[in-house]
Amino acid sequence: MIEFKNVCKKYGTGTDAVKNASFKIEKGEFAFLVGSSGSGKSTLIKLILKEEEPSSGNIIINGKDTTFLKQNRVPYLRRSMGIVFQDFRLLPDKTVYENVAFAMYIVKATPKHIRRQVPMVLSLVGLSGKAKMYPNELSGGEQQRVALARALVNNPSMIIADEPTGNLDPDTAWDIMNLLNEINMRGTTVVVATHAKEIVDQMKKRVIHINKGVIVKDDKKGGYDCEI
Amino acid sequence: MRFNVINYLIGEGISNLFKNKKSTISSLMIMCATMLIFGLFFVIGENINAFVKNVADAQEIRVIIADTATEEQIEEIGKQILEIDGVRNAEFISKEKAYEYMKEMLGESGAELLEGREGIFSVSYDVTLTDLELNDEVQESILQLEHIKKIESANKVITQVISLANGVRIVTGGLLILLVIISIAIISNTIKLTVHARRKEISIMKYVGATNSFIRWPFLVEGVIIGVLAGLLSVGIIWGTYTLIANKIAETSFLEIAHWKLLEFKDMFKLILTVYLGLGVGIGVVGSSISMKKYLEV
Ligand SMILES: Nc1ncnc2c1ncn2[C@@H]1O[C@H](COP(=O)(O)OP(=O)(O)OP(=O)(O)O)[C@@H](O)[C@H]1O
Ligand SMILES: [Mg+2]
Repeated sequence: MIEFKNVCKKYGTGTDAVKNASFKIEKGEFAFLVGSSGSGKSTLIKLILKEEEPSSGNIIINGKDTTFLKQNRVPYLRRSMGIVFQDFRLLPDKTVYENVAFAMYIVKATPKHIRRQVPMVLSLVGLSGKAKMYPNELSGGEQQRVALARALVNNPSMIIADEPTGNLDPDTAWDIMNLLNEINMRGTTVVVATHAKEIVDQMKKRVIHINKGVIVKDDKKGGYDCEI
Repeated sequence: MRFNVINYLIGEGISNLFKNKKSTISSLMIMCATMLIFGLFFVIGENINAFVKNVADAQEIRVIIADTATEEQIEEIGKQILEIDGVRNAEFISKEKAYEYMKEMLGESGAELLEGREGIFSVSYDVTLTDLELNDEVQESILQLEHIKKIESANKVITQVISLANGVRIVTGGLLILLVIISIAIISNTIKLTVHARRKEISIMKYVGATNSFIRWPFLVEGVIIGVLAGLLSVGIIWGTYTLIANKIAETSFLEIAHWKLLEFKDMFKLILTVYLGLGVGIGVVGSSISMKKYLEV
């Protein structure tokens, strides 16, 4: 599903953000990406999204090497993934419903399909009753659920989340992680970069440890701490 | 593309215009102003062109035939003149006719002077042209023929009118280029503001997998609407002012002296509308494309 082969990323500033990373995340897997601040988690995620290009190595998504993917094909690559960020990234002047429907407009879904699909994902994330509200009328956790609904609405084969609980209190963070777990149970691959030590420790999922750009450990059922 | 998507994209474009009222209005006004300046010269140019055409219709080169020419030779000259490029017609003027014309011109008092002097007139051809600009060449070709005594024509006036027409054409062309540059800069700047205000939305669209063309559409719509509105507004303003001024001029007898009638606006309406709408759409498309460039490289 997601495979890195000897991937290096050196930014224009000279920072070696990812050094010779190789790993493979299978279809239906749930993987955490952990490491201290500046270790290169976001860079890894940007490489998956093809927001950044690797300096060397190959990245294979859904069996396709994206290294030489043409720029005009990138949107189609991104339609196979639902993306969630720490800061939710909702449109403030659109309602919950519109924020989610927006993602469907973009892939040119039919109105009929939109009317059926949006309420379905909203109920999946537990927001059926708040469809007409605006983002600023919601709690942080609820906003992140809207973002999750938006990520899910086009039925992507994977969810990629960069610190999805970074702005949330521990309880709400758990809600979101549980939701991600639920989504994973339905067969969607989930990759989560996070600092949430306790959650990672308790969920007993695969944990990929990155330190100063190097993947130092890859635990099948690991915890947050990484003894080298 | 499906109907609702088109609705969505156009709706977004229109809502951009309203979210961005101040810069929409100011770019509309500046574009209108440049379009009007261009339109002024365009309208003047059209009138001069029409005038030149009138002059061409009325302009005659009088080719006076040598008295020694025989009747067959005169007839032959007529045929040869008609074969020259740029000649529309060559009317034979006999001595008697030339005498009649002169009498008419001089009026009653002058007629006495001419009494019994038909003999001083020569036979001639009155040549009309298809194109005023060919005047010199046609005259040269005619002079090459045999048995030509001389040519009489209002050369100076023709050259002046032509150079005036060309001057206006150059100014209009220059203004057109200026208009295009200024308008593209204005529109692209206005849309840059919208794009900047919506950069968050654009980046979200990109993460959700929107293609560049999809992202571009609303901004394209915005640019084209500004361009088309400016075009329509300018046509309206020019229509009003032109009609007003043309009527005022018609009240004076100023132009009658020159046998010059101003064009009516409806004669130019289609052309002006087409030019303005074409400019509006083109400028809108180019302007918005320029402003989008930076933001699509994610
Ligand atoms: N666009 C960029 N240009 C240059 N250097 C960058 C860029 N983005 C990140 N870096 C550098 O690359 C390194 C890895 O950054 P990255 O954002 O991937 O870390 P991270 O693990 O996500 O950190 P955090 O946990 O704080 O989010 C850092 O040293 C950072 O300064
Ligand atoms: Mg990060």
